Amino acid sequence: MHDMRTIAEDSRLLLKKAEKDGIETVWDRFEAQQPSCGYCEMGLSCRICVMGPCRIDPFGEGPQKGVCGADADIIVARNLCRMIAAGAASHSDHGRDLVEVLEAVSEGRAPGYSIRDEQKLKHLAIEYGIAIEGKQILKIAGELAYAMQEDFGTRKKELTFVKRAPAKRQEIWKKIGITPRGIDRETSEMMHRTHMGVDNGWLSLLLQGMRNALSDGWGGAMIASEVSDILYGTPMPVQTSANVGVLKADHVNIVVHGHNPVVSEMILLACQTTELVDLAKQKGAKGINLAGVCCTGNELLMRHGVAMAGNHLTTELVLATGAVEMMIVDYQCIMPAIASVAACYHTKMISTSDKAHFPGMVHREFHPDNAKVLAIELIKEAIENFECRGNVYIPTEPVASIGGCSVEAILKVLGGTPTPFIDAIKAGLIRGAVGIVGCNNPRIRQDYGHVTLTKRLIENDILVIDTGCVAVATAKAGLKMPESVKYAGAGLAKVCTQLGVPPVFHIGSCVDNVRILVLLSALANTLGVDISDLPVAGAAPEWYSEKAVAIGVYFVASGVYTVLGPMPPITGSMNVVNLLTQGLNDVVGATFAVEPDPEKAAVLIRRHIEGKRQKLGLDSMTI
Amino acid sequence: MKKVMVHPERCVGCMQCMMSCATAHSQSKSLFTAISEKPLPKPRVHVGAGRYGEGFPNRCRHCDPAPCLSACLPGAIFRDHATGTILINPERCINCASCAMACPFGVIRYHQEYSAPIGKAVAVKCDNCLERQIPACVEVCKSGALTYEEPSSAMKRKTDEVARSICADAMKENTTPGFALLNAVKRAEVRMREEKSCTI
Repeated sequence: MHDMRTIAEDSRLLLKKAEKDGIETVWDRFEAQQPSCGYCEMGLSCRICVMGPCRIDPFGEGPQKGVCGADADIIVARNLCRMIAAGAASHSDHGRDLVEVLEAVSEGRAPGYSIRDEQKLKHLAIEYGIAIEGKQILKIAGELAYAMQEDFGTRKKELTFVKRAPAKRQEIWKKIGITPRGIDRETSEMMHRTHMGVDNGWLSLLLQGMRNALSDGWGGAMIASEVSDILYGTPMPVQTSANVGVLKADHVNIVVHGHNPVVSEMILLACQTTELVDLAKQKGAKGINLAGVCCTGNELLMRHGVAMAGNHLTTELVLATGAVEMMIVDYQCIMPAIASVAACYHTKMISTSDKAHFPGMVHREFHPDNAKVLAIELIKEAIENFECRGNVYIPTEPVASIGGCSVEAILKVLGGTPTPFIDAIKAGLIRGAVGIVGCNNPRIRQDYGHVTLTKRLIENDILVIDTGCVAVATAKAGLKMPESVKYAGAGLAKVCTQLGVPPVFHIGSCVDNVRILVLLSALANTLGVDISDLPVAGAAPEWYSEKAVAIGVYFVASGVYTVLGPMPPITGSMNVVNLLTQGLNDVVGATFAVEPDPEKAAVLIRRHIEGKRQKLGLDSMTI
Repeated sequence: MKKVMVHPERCVGCMQCMMSCATAHSQSKSLFTAISEKPLPKPRVHVGAGRYGEGFPNRCRHCDPAPCLSACLPGAIFRDHATGTILINPERCINCASCAMACPFGVIRYHQEYSAPIGKAVAVKCDNCLERQIPACVEVCKSGALTYEEPSSAMKRKTDEVARSICADAMKENTTPGFALLNAVKRAEVRMREEKSCTI
């Protein structure tokens, strides 16, 4: 049974342990939910107003319109657009929190935080039109934070980072009127338009949905990624390891879970202080071991090589090791069930964000001014919890992996310009590149979609760049070491061996998907083409969240063909399905495809890449 | 005489029939107050999940002869001859579970009911909503998985459907492509999860 749930050995063994310990997991709850509601799965239920709730009968005999008169097309489009709005809001609010830390640093209100990448700060300040000559670093930081905060509002005609996109792409956005104007504005307008009696054109709703997603990709999330680099350093290649075996039986284990490095960076600092390490030793441990799960783990992994205990569906199982003294969470993707798992062991659960409270957790709120002190307090409590530990079961050995492949790091390896990569594509050694991103979802056997698709692509000479839960899955599967070229086709292996890099690049957390946009823009600009002309694609084989919807839509709206694993709730409207999978090609030069089987998804992607190669006048194959 | 018909291919698994049934068998007959009643009203129709997660509303067939009725030693189970409905007298029920064991469809449950003696768990099953014009489960079903109609008209409709399905032109016709698409994806997901050999 556990084999059906996951392909990851650590998960499989810990599922057995969890079963023995009587712990309910996400898979049990998924099964208890079957059958899931077909109206909801098809996007045909509407809870927007209280004349309803309404649903449309997909068989055509029952109601075909909601109380207000909205038909299936309108209801499906409104529901999808609200998912985009929620996803965009999540990344963008994450970005806002970082900008607030940047502001606090500039005002000297954030002890422990600093400007770690001054060059990037200056570079971004120039991009934002800030004069930096003769100004002190903190002054520039303050002015940049102010300028970025303006991007959130409604005072601009377009977001600053829109200019990073290739000129042809900007033209497309202008032509169809989806250039994002303000980060909060687009989400706010999306919510307005989907209110009863506002926008009832399913096409115009979806266009605003794309603008809203672009305000995330080229706005909120991009700010989140860039400001994280300023505050915590731009990632450079770093050795790390992954799977639940990164926990150490003889150490105090602390796991960070969530997304925003604002908390996890301070936790890391605290774990490194000599007094606390000494205290851990006094208590009989060999030291303090910090590990991550989810994207805040990716943030620490990218910048400091902090080991990764697991991805989304492993978050509960990590606790079933009985080896975790404390789990510290911030926000997003933290299952509210998780504290009830911790309750079976000695693990202390701490929530830290004023925005995110969880049942069964102790709430200790982090703010820029108290973060350093609070982090030390918490680690002290975690160390004291070490002696309460019961039996420990850490079933696997960690797998070595390389992280830290920021755009800056990739360009550095290539000698400062994307040209060597472009030459390898032109020569056909590398057929193209694919960004595989997104979550885990109990609908798909954990990591099966990610690992299978990645393997099929690299063995066919397609470079894979991944983020989020995918990045953790492929690290666990051993695909992220220079030796992993043994899984790659001859051409890709040759290029990777020459450069000394793995065939799969870990480019970061989920907000770091914007690094893919930056990279694609650099490639397109070097070639003088649009992103949609490049032999590239996106995939989200195991996606589950609203954030993933926003990401998928900003990929497609930026010209990247994107293959989803699970079906989004849109099948109630074949108009919406046809637009997203075919019609959008004429609008933004890219479409979605849905294919849960990664073997078939790989074929779709290879076919797409060869098609783009042919259009660019490069050699191409028939797939 | 009208009967409740089940059309499993139309069930979208929303479970509204269950909620509506529990409400119809509550004291207050209102969802919002029913949820705070003691004992908590429970549904008599249950939606199960098929191999691919497809819904199926499982409901008493009111069999004739009824195995539950034959198995009931205290004579608590009886047939309402006017409607053919199999009913249970909670006063007589001794909670022995013989009827549940005899039932081939697993539609008899045991719990307290406001209409039964206080504190006593009794056998409970579908009563065809005899107090209502239309059974609650049918009334709430918007996808047509449950209908309340004359068997003759349902049979005629089915006959016509079969007749149409053998017509060459109709073979291509798919009136609900979206539902078929969703189901295709769900089937693929389940098959992938169940795949024995992991080829990666």
